[in-house]
Amino acid sequence: MRLHFLLLLLVSLPVTTLASPRGDESSARTALLARFDAALHADVAALDKLLADDLEYCGVSATCSTKAQYLDSVRSGARKFRSLVPRIERVTLFADSAVLTGKVYAVSIGDGTERNVDAYFLVVLAWRDGRWQMTNQSSTLLQPKPKT
Amino acid sequence: MVSVASFAKDVARETALKSAEMSRFEAQVNADAKALGNLLDDGLEYTHSNGDLDTKASFIDSLVTGKRDYISSTATIETVRIFGDVGVIRGKAKVTVGGKDRQPQDLSIGYTDIWLWKNGRWQMTAWRSARLPAPDAK
Repeated sequence: MRLHFLLLLLVSLPVTTLASPRGDESSARTALLARFDAALHADVAALDKLLADDLEYCGVSATCSTKAQYLDSVRSGARKFRSLVPRIERVTLFADSAVLTGKVYAVSIGDGTERNVDAYFLVVLAWRDGRWQMTNQSSTLLQPKPKT
Repeated sequence: MVSVASFAKDVARETALKSAEMSRFEAQVNADAKALGNLLDDGLEYTHSNGDLDTKASFIDSLVTGKRDYISSTATIETVRIFGDVGVIRGKAKVTVGGKDRQPQDLSIGYTDIWLWKNGRWQMTAWRSARLPAPDAK
């Protein structure tokens, strides 16, 4: 009787509980690096998968965009990079989310001019549908290096 | 299915998170080390809008010694999201900050901070802010 009850309980568990392990630190790092890479290559299809539908993307000017606004800016070329070099410094994992901090060294292209945008980033990833999705990025400009 | 009890718990946690956020701004203005000791996580990463970095210890020390003086701050919370034991707040603030060897400065910033639910209370573990663009002088 007890065995039947246990079997019934197992069968009634959601499939995701049994089939999808939570993301780990390595996969969180990989997801964020893939996000930066997709931004560098203006890969809208990849970004669409890597970004959560409830994304809040706040740039160094403190202006925030939704996922749709962010993807539009990539698609239109308004957000374009010559290079993007991220350095992830800290990853903290929770049950269904991960917080990552670090620095990104970027050269952005806008109005025909290139601009160095080196910044601290704070990223929140949410574990949904069996993968990490970025739900927040907020950035602060690094202090300019002292002139020598 | 979300139970009534679970929904009520979420609402209570969100209310507690907003309250903790406002208490933290207030504690900064009052340089209240005891309150900040409770409200800030030991692993705090505090990135000021000018790129200065602080840990929990260095941040509290800067306020207590007057190196950094939050003369006033008015915060507006724009969004609050909770992912399990992680809370994410996005908002804007007007801050007047001075301190030793520093003229008071009025700043308008956009911020995101991350809170952890630990030991039965919210504790802020990360802060990032950036200066908002100056209004057009039209």
